[in-house]
Amino acid sequence: MEYARIAAGFVLVLGLVYWAFVEPKIRTTFVTVVIAVAASAGIWIGANLLFDQVRVHWTRFMVIASAVVGAIVGIVLHGNLVTIGSGEGFFTWVVGPLAGAAAFGALGYGLAVTDDPSRRRAIAIGGSLAIGAVIGLVIRDTYHPEFDAVAIVVSTAIGAALGAGISLLGKKAPVRGALTGGAIGWIAGAWGGADLGDGSLATSLIAALVPAALIGVRLAMTSNPDYRARLVLDNRSRATIFIGPALLFILVMLVIPAVRTLYLSLLDDDSEDFVRLENYTSVFTDRNSLDLDNWTNMFTSIPFIIGMVLLGIAVIVGVTMKQRTGRAVEVGNPTVAPLVFGALLVAFGAFTAMRGTLINNLWWVVVVTFLSTALGLAIAVLADQRGGERFAKSIIFMPMAISLVGASIIWRFVYTARDTSTEQTGVLNALWVGLGRLSTGSGLPTLIFGAAILLALIGLLMVCARMLVRYGPGRAVVPGIAAIFVGWFFIRYVGIIGTGVGGHRVAEDGTVSAETVFFVQETPYNNFWLMVIFIWIQTGFAMVILSAAIKAVPTELIEAAKIDGATSSQVFWRVTLPQIATTIGVVVTTLIVGVMKVFDIVKVTTNGQFGSQVLANQMFQEAFGFTNTGKGAALAILIFVAVLPVMIYNIRRMQREG
Amino acid sequence: MSTVVPPVVQESGEGPSDPSTVVGGDDRDKPAGPINRIYAFLRSIPTGILWLLVIVWSIPTLGLFVNSFRDRDAQRSTGWWKVSPGELTLDNYDEIFGARQGLGQSLLNSAAIAIPATIIPIAIAAFAAYGFAWIDFKGRKALFIATVALLAIPLQVALIPLLQMFNNGASLTLPLLDSTIVLIPDFNLAGTTTATWLTHTGFAMPFAIFLLHNYISSLPKDLFEAARIDGAAHFTIFWRLVLPLSIPVLAAFAIFQFLWTWNDYLIANTMIGANASSQPTTILIANLAGDFGRNEDILPAAAFVQSFIPIIVFFALQRYFVRGILAGSVKG
Repeated sequence: MEYARIAAGFVLVLGLVYWAFVEPKIRTTFVTVVIAVAASAGIWIGANLLFDQVRVHWTRFMVIASAVVGAIVGIVLHGNLVTIGSGEGFFTWVVGPLAGAAAFGALGYGLAVTDDPSRRRAIAIGGSLAIGAVIGLVIRDTYHPEFDAVAIVVSTAIGAALGAGISLLGKKAPVRGALTGGAIGWIAGAWGGADLGDGSLATSLIAALVPAALIGVRLAMTSNPDYRARLVLDNRSRATIFIGPALLFILVMLVIPAVRTLYLSLLDDDSEDFVRLENYTSVFTDRNSLDLDNWTNMFTSIPFIIGMVLLGIAVIVGVTMKQRTGRAVEVGNPTVAPLVFGALLVAFGAFTAMRGTLINNLWWVVVVTFLSTALGLAIAVLADQRGGERFAKSIIFMPMAISLVGASIIWRFVYTARDTSTEQTGVLNALWVGLGRLSTGSGLPTLIFGAAILLALIGLLMVCARMLVRYGPGRAVVPGIAAIFVGWFFIRYVGIIGTGVGGHRVAEDGTVSAETVFFVQETPYNNFWLMVIFIWIQTGFAMVILSAAIKAVPTELIEAAKIDGATSSQVFWRVTLPQIATTIGVVVTTLIVGVMKVFDIVKVTTNGQFGSQVLANQMFQEAFGFTNTGKGAALAILIFVAVLPVMIYNIRRMQREG
Repeated sequence: MSTVVPPVVQESGEGPSDPSTVVGGDDRDKPAGPINRIYAFLRSIPTGILWLLVIVWSIPTLGLFVNSFRDRDAQRSTGWWKVSPGELTLDNYDEIFGARQGLGQSLLNSAAIAIPATIIPIAIAAFAAYGFAWIDFKGRKALFIATVALLAIPLQVALIPLLQMFNNGASLTLPLLDSTIVLIPDFNLAGTTTATWLTHTGFAMPFAIFLLHNYISSLPKDLFEAARIDGAAHFTIFWRLVLPLSIPVLAAFAIFQFLWTWNDYLIANTMIGANASSQPTTILIANLAGDFGRNEDILPAAAFVQSFIPIIVFFALQRYFVRGILAGSVKG
C-alpha cells in the first residue's frame, strides 16, 4: 500500500513536470511561483540570519543592518532617477545601493564599536549630517524642492506629535518618538508637498540636512544594548519576522479593504459624492429587499398551521407531564421534539408569506442551519458503532468536496421538469408524477401502495397505544404525531378528502393528467429547494464534527447511565447531548456564517430571479454587474453586520478558553 | 490548547445482516410472541433510515454521472435510472475537451489558481502560527484573538476595494498637502491568476493560522527548551523541529485550501471574470449552465470532470481532511 502510494506520487510528479514543459500556461505559472517563493524565502531567511547575529555579534549585526537600510535608501533614490548619474546603464543600478550601503554601514559600525556617550554623540550627529549633506547635494536640479513653509511646519508638527504619542503609548520618553516622527514629517512636507524642480541647491540641502540632524540626535540618545537587551531585541525582531508577513496579508487583503468598503458604502454609485446612509436606507425601503405586505398570508400557509398544531401538542403534553412529574420542559422530554419542529415550521410558514432579499437570507439561515445540524446529528448517532459506518459517513460527507457550482448543476438535474405530456427525467418530478398516478389510478400497484400505508398506520397506532399504556402519554407523542401524518396522507391518498396526492390535475370533465412542480421557479418554495442543495453539502460537515464529539463522550458516563437503567434515548438526551452542547454551538455558528454569505447556489440556479434573491448575490450584481459601488458596499457591510454577533461570540469563547 | 482528534472512523464488528442484533430500541422490552417480531422490526428502523439517507445522498451525484455518458436525446427522453448499456457513449467527454468548449484549458487554469494559492499561504501561516505559539512578546494573545476573529469575516466585505486595487493600484491622498502618495503601484493584475493567489492567501490567513497554531502550540514544551539551551535560534527550531513535526497539520490545511480554491467561484468570478483565457472550471460550467439549456447535454460531463479532481483528493486524503475540519472547529 505504502509503495503503491509512493509510486502514484512519483508518476504524478513526473506527469506534472512533463506538463509543465508542454503547457505554456503551467510553465509561466510555475516559473512565477518559483521566483516569487524563492525571492520571499531569500528575504525571510536573510532577515532571520541577520537577527541571528544580535545575541553574539552585535557589531556585525549593526553593520549589516545599517548597510541594508542604506542600500534601500540608495535603491529608492537612484532607482527613481532622483539622483545625479542615475538611469545611465547597468552601472548606475549598482552605484546607488552600494554607496548607500557603504555610508550607512560605516555609521552603524562607528556606533556599534563606541560606548563612550560623547563620542557616540559626535559619530551619530556627524555621520547623519554627512549622509544628509551628500544626499542633498546629489539630488538632480529637477528635483530641488521649493519650500512651502505652512506645509513643512504642519507636516513636521503632525509627525512629531504622532511619534511622541506612539512613544508614550510604549512608555518611552516622548522626545525620541517626536524626533523620528518630526524627521518623517519634515521629509513629507519638504519633498512630498513641494513643487519639485523649482527650488535651488540650497533648499535641497536644507530639506535633506534637517531630517538628518533630527535622526542624528535621535541616534545619539541610544546606547549599545547589553546582553539582556539584545535578547529582548532578538525576540521582538523574531516576532516581527515570523508574524509580520501574515499580518501584512491580513491587513492589505482583509482589514484595510473592509474599512474602505465601509467608507465606499457612504458614497454614491461612482464613489464621488457623500450620500450618508442613503445606500442603507434604499436597501430597507426597497420592496425587493423587504416586502411585508402579505404577512397575514402566513396564517393560511400549511407549514404554519402544522407548526401551530405541533406547538399545541407540545403545550398539552407539557401540561400533562407537569402534572405527572412536576417538570414540563426538560431535555429529552417528549415536548422538545414537537416544540422544536413546530417552531421551525411556524417560522417556515411565516417566511413563505413575507418576501424580499432580507427575508430570504433569514430564511436560509434558520432552515439550513437547523436542518443541517439536526440531520448531521441524526446521522452521526445512527451511524455510530454500526456496521458500514465508515462507508455511510463517506457518502454523506462527499458533497463537501464538490464545488457549490457543481452541486447546483447536480441538483438542477434532480429538479428538472419536462413537459407533462412526456416522461419526466428529473428524479423528484418523476416520483411526484408517479405518486399522482398511483393515487388517482385504480390498478394493482395503487392497491398495494395503499395497503402498505394502511399497514404502517396501523403499526404506528399500535406502538402509540402500547406506549400510552406502558409509559403514559409522554412516550406516545412522537409515534402519535407520526400516526397523524401517515393517517392524513392515507386519507388524501384514497381521496376521502381532495382528489388524491402527488403531481396530477383533474380537469372539469373528470380526466386526470400529470402535473409537474417547477422546483427552481415557483416562488416562494423555490427558496427551500435551493436550500436543500446547501443542506446536502453542509450536513456532512455537521456530521463529521458531531460524530467526533459523540465518540469523545467518556464511555464510563454512558455505561453508568445504562447500569442505572436508562434507555438508549434517555442516554442520548440526558448524557450525550449535554456533553456535546458546546460542539453543537460551534457547528451552528460556523453554519450561520457560511449561510449568510451563500452566493454560488443562487447565482448558478436562478441568479436571484423568481423571488430567490439573497444578499451576497445582490451585492455581486450591484457592485460588479451594475457598477453601483455604493450600494454593493452597503450590502457587503450588511452581510458583515449580520455575522458580527457570531464573531463576538467566537472571541468571547476564545478568551474564556485562554 | 491541544486539539484531541478522536479516531473518526470506527468499524464496528457486527455486520448489519441481522437487524435484531442492532441496538437501537429499548433493551428492557422483550415480550414474547408476535409483538417480539414487531419490536425486532422496529429496532431495525434506525439502520434502515441511515441507509435510506445514504441512498438519498448519493442519488443526485449518481444521476449526473450516468447522464454524462448519455447523448442529448437519451437525456431528454428518459430518466437516467432507465439507462440501458447500449446507449452509453463518451461523446460528451469528447465534446467538452474538444473544440466546442475547451474544458482542458480551464482545468489548467484551475490548477494554475489552486496550486499556488495552496502553497503560498501554508508557508506564511506556518511562520505566524509558530510566532504566536512560541515567541513571547507583548500583546501576543490579543493579536492572536484579533487575527482568528477574522475567521468569520465574510469575504464580500473586502471584494470591491480589492478589485479596485488590482485594477488601479492603491494611493493615498494627503488632505493638507494636496498630494497623492502611491502606496501600491498598478501592477496590471486585473483579470490575472496572480490576483486570485493574493486574494486567496489573504482570506486563508486567519483559518490557516488558527489551524496550524492549534497544532504547533500543542507540541511538547521540553523540546523547545532543550533546543534553546543548545543555543538554537528560533529560525533553526522552526526549520529543523517544528516543520517536520507539523507535516500532518500542514497536509490537513493543504487539502482544505486546495478544495476551497479549486471549488471557488466568487473570487475567481470577481478577479478574473470576463477574461476568458484565465477562467477556471467553476466559471466555465456556471456559464454553460446559464446558456438557456443550449449546452444542457454536455453539462453533466463538464460538471463531473470539474468535481472529479476534488473527489479524488477527498477520498484519497479523507483522514487529513477530516482532521483539518475537526481541528478548525472543535477545540479540545
